Amino acid sequence: MQKRNDETLVGYLDGELETAERRDIEAWLDADPAARERLAALAEATDMVRGAYQDIVDEPVPERLIAAARGATPSVSHPSSDANVVVLTWPARSRAILPAIAGNWRLAAAAALFGLVIGGAGGFFGGALVPPNPAAEQKVAAAAVNNNWLDNAAAFYKLSVNAGDTMLVDVPASNDSNEALQKISQSLPQQVRLPDLKPWGLNFRGARLVAVDGKPAAQLVYTTDNKAIGPLTLLIGSSKQPDVQPTFDQRQGVNQLYWRHHGRAYVLVGQANVGYLWGIANDVAWQLDAI
Amino acid sequence: MYPKMAEPPERGPVSTPFSDRLVATLPRLRRFARGLTGSASEADDLVQAACERALARQHQFQEGTRFDSWMFRIVQTIWIDQLRARDVRKEDADIAEERLGTDEPMRRVEARLALGEVRRAVDRLPAEQRSTLMLVTVEGLSYKEAADVAGVPIGTIMSRLARARIALQQQLAGGDVRRSRDNAEAE
Repeated sequence: MQKRNDETLVGYLDGELETAERRDIEAWLDADPAARERLAALAEATDMVRGAYQDIVDEPVPERLIAAARGATPSVSHPSSDANVVVLTWPARSRAILPAIAGNWRLAAAAALFGLVIGGAGGFFGGALVPPNPAAEQKVAAAAVNNNWLDNAAAFYKLSVNAGDTMLVDVPASNDSNEALQKISQSLPQQVRLPDLKPWGLNFRGARLVAVDGKPAAQLVYTTDNKAIGPLTLLIGSSKQPDVQPTFDQRQGVNQLYWRHHGRAYVLVGQANVGYLWGIANDVAWQLDAI
Repeated sequence: MYPKMAEPPERGPVSTPFSDRLVATLPRLRRFARGLTGSASEADDLVQAACERALARQHQFQEGTRFDSWMFRIVQTIWIDQLRARDVRKEDADIAEERLGTDEPMRRVEARLALGEVRRAVDRLPAEQRSTLMLVTVEGLSYKEAADVAGVPIGTIMSRLARARIALQQQLAGGDVRRSRDNAEAE
């Protein structure tokens, strides 16, 4: 008979004992209540340790580590320079053209190219590439938006994209995609609705509950065959900060279009250029009453 | 005529299968390193150093063996070197709040405090017990794999694990951690 001690109890817990050893321990446990109590205590300590470190693997990986793993020169993430920032203006609320092109992302993409989607007269494609008072608006936007929020949005995007086919989602898309959002919304201060981006060829893949600046936020993950657009994520969180105009920016090598409206912060993240992001942002804002 | 559209951002250096594997392992390396160092920033520094060493020595990795174990060994080796260099002996009172990490999970306050207490308890373990606990209990390596990473016999792994868990159980069982966790679960 082998030793009956804490080491063998731990080996039993970890499934590391041979058959004969395991049977001997089980006989010991059957006969000795103190041994059972000891095993339960060790098992509880084991579970607590596992639980205490579980969430670290869900954190966004810092850019400098991804760069190091890629063999790139390590760099510290910097807020973007003003040169990258473009403050945009929501157009009048109109979506007349969208139903006509729904289901055909090529049409939607072409429409975006020519500024046809969602009444571009007052927006980016209405000739407002340079806002009326760009310097002032950029400063306002830069001051108003939390840099950590945007850096985290970029990091979460990369985490999802790097996962490849095994998308990192807490709640995968199903026949009833709103069900995914309802589950995520249970942990959020406000209900999150799901924008339908199929007209852009973007298919909803699932949602994740993420932590940004210590607050929960929902990350919606979309993919598409159109390499000019996707993959793309939409981060939706709560904010007590003032509203912010839609603003294009670049963080950690990915493009972002963010805005804040009535206590909510929205960040579209992807490799798509400002034209696509602006069109999609208009669609999202229209669907979510976030203008 | 429509306005000129922004050019897509340039992509990073071309991926290789080795660096792809490295990137995929980063979340677990960060967790392992967090368990070793008890600090979010030190853990990331450690992982960065391990990535750089792994890339420099990628020819030493043997295909067919576990890539994660190979990386854990590199992380642990660098960490031990750092400990020796610093000759740091941590005192309980010196455990900074930052050691809880910068991005804590979204849980209720009670549960979050409990998790922090567990991490602090792990942090108080001797270095070799902490490392073994992380490899087996958190990262799921077998005793043999952990023994290979640590360069010790399997019996030593069993002994370290038993002592580590007993110490943790003694620290956590009667303390506020257990009570607060129970309270959180009961709500």
